[in-house]
Amino acid sequence: MDDLYKEIILEHYQNPDHMGKIEGAIEAGEANMTCGDSLKIYAKVENGVIIDAKFEGGGCAISMAAVDMLLDNVIGKKLTEVKKMSGVEIEKMMGVELTPSRKKCAYLGLEVLKKLG
Amino acid sequence: MKNYKKYFLIFDKNADLHYLDSGATTLKPKMVLEKMMEYYTEYSANIHRGLYPISEKATEEYENTRQKVADFIGAKYPGEIVFTSGTTDSLNLAAAGWAKRNLKAGDEVMVTIAEHHSNFVPWQQLALKNNFKFVVSGEVTKKTKLLAINHVSNVLGTVTPIKSIIKKAREISPEICVVVDGAQAVGHMPVDMVDLDADFYAFSGHKMYGPTGVGVLYGKAKRWLEMEPTRFGGGMIKTVSTTESTWADGPEKFEAGTPPIAEVIGLGATIDFIKEIGRENIVKHEKELTDYLIEKINKIEWLKIMGLGISSGRLGVVSMYSEAPGMGTSHDMADILGREFNVCVRAGHHCAMPLHTQFGVETGTVRVSLGIYNTKEDVDELIKGLEKVWMTFIKK
Ligand SMILES: Cc1ncc(COP(=O)(O)O)c(C=O)c1O
Repeated sequence: MDDLYKEIILEHYQNPDHMGKIEGAIEAGEANMTCGDSLKIYAKVENGVIIDAKFEGGGCAISMAAVDMLLDNVIGKKLTEVKKMSGVEIEKMMGVELTPSRKKCAYLGLEVLKKLG
Repeated sequence: MKNYKKYFLIFDKNADLHYLDSGATTLKPKMVLEKMMEYYTEYSANIHRGLYPISEKATEEYENTRQKVADFIGAKYPGEIVFTSGTTDSLNLAAAGWAKRNLKAGDEVMVTIAEHHSNFVPWQQLALKNNFKFVVSGEVTKKTKLLAINHVSNVLGTVTPIKSIIKKAREISPEICVVVDGAQAVGHMPVDMVDLDADFYAFSGHKMYGPTGVGVLYGKAKRWLEMEPTRFGGGMIKTVSTTESTWADGPEKFEAGTPPIAEVIGLGATIDFIKEIGRENIVKHEKELTDYLIEKINKIEWLKIMGLGISSGRLGVVSMYSEAPGMGTSHDMADILGREFNVCVRAGHHCAMPLHTQFGVETGTVRVSLGIYNTKEDVDELIKGLEKVWMTFIKK
C-alpha cells in the first residue's frame, strides 16, 4: 500500500499556503457536484507570467492538497506553459500513484487553471 | 449469529472482503448464477416465439418468474408484473406511460425530499414539460394527483409508513396515484401490494441478490389499462398493418423487444433463494447487525449519523459524516476504508442531492448498507478502519 495520505499531502490539505482571494486578478472556477468539490482559482499575471495565485473552495483532502501544491509549483511560470501541464505531472508532484477515481480529485486544480485567462 | 457467506461465491476468492455497499448493489448467491447458467446451457432460446421445445421451456421459466414475483410481493395477478431493466426504468415507465397520459396541466405531482434521483428527476422533468405542478414534501390536497415516495430511504435507511400515508392520501384525494420506490425494501423486508394499496411499486433485481439488468414495475390491473406503451417494437403488438398497430393485452404490451431473459429467470431463482433463507431470518439477521452497527457508530464522537441515529423504524442503511475540521470528506474516508481494510462503502450523495442539501452536508456522506452475508466482523473491521481514518487526519 502506498501512503496516499502522507505527511506532505496532509500538510498542504490542513495548512494550505495559497488559500485566499486576490482582488482584481483573473479567476476561474469549477464545481464537481457529485464529489462535493468546488474550487475557484485567482491568478495575477504580468507579462504572461503568474506572479501570484490563490484558491478558495472545499473538497476532499486529495483535491485540496493537489491544488495547493500545484499553485506552489506554477507561481513564477508562464501561464501558457502551465496550461500545457498534464495529469501525470500532478501525480509526480504529489509523489503518489492515483486510482482512476482519485485522479478526478487530484486533477481538479489543473482543470481550473487551464480555464484561466 | 449465522454466517451466510457460504451462499456467495465471491468470498471464495475474496475471503477478507467486507462488503458494506448492498444499497448500491447486492452480491449474488450461487443459486442465481447457476440458474442463469442453466438457461444459457440448456434452453438458450428466445421466448414467446419458437415452437420448438427449448423455446417453450425458456418461455415457461420466464413466465414462471412473473408468477413468482407476483406471489412474492403479494400482487393479485401475475399480469400486474411488468419486467423492466431496473427501478429507474420502472419509474420512468410509470411517469411517461401513466402520468403523462392521465394527468392534466395544473395537476399536482408530489415527491419527497428524501427521494433517490430516479424517483425525483423523472417527475420533475415530466412536470416541467407538461405544466404539472411539482411539489417537494408538501401537504397532500385534493389537487395532488400523484405521489411518488420511497418505501425505504437509500440514505437514511428509514422505513416510510407507506400504508398509512397511502390511506390518508386517498381520504384527501381519492383519485391519487401513488408510486412507491421499493428499491431498498424488497430484498430486506416483506412487502404486500394488496395490503399497501400502492398503485405502482418499482424495484430492481440487483438490489435483492438478483442479476443486474432486470427490474419490476408492479401496477394495479386498472392502472395498466389506463396506460400507453412508451416503447414500441416486437413482442408488444397484436396486429401491425402499414397504417396502424394494435397492442398485446397483457404485460407484454410494455415489454417491447427481447427482454433480459436470463436475468428474469435469474430473478426467479433469487426469490427461491430468499425463500430458502427465509424472509423472517433475513429481517432478524439484518436487524441484529443494524443495532450493532448503530451502537458502534454512536460511540464514535467525531462521526454523525445523518437523520436519526436510532435503530428502530429503519433498515441497515446508515449514512454518516464528520464535521471535525481537517478530516477530509466522505471520499477520503471511503478511500482509506477500501484500500487499507477492504471495507467497501459508498461515498458522496448517493443520488440524493436535495436531501444532502437539506441536511447541510454538501460534501456528502459515507454510507454503510448491510446485506444477508454481513457479520459482526464486517462491522468491527469498519470500526477499525474508521479509527485509522481518525489517526490519519488528526493524530498524525
Ligand atoms: C431508493 C432507490 N431508488 C432507485 C434506485 C435506482 O435503482 P437502479 O439503479 O437499479 O435503477 C436506487 C439505487 O440506486 C435506490 O436506492
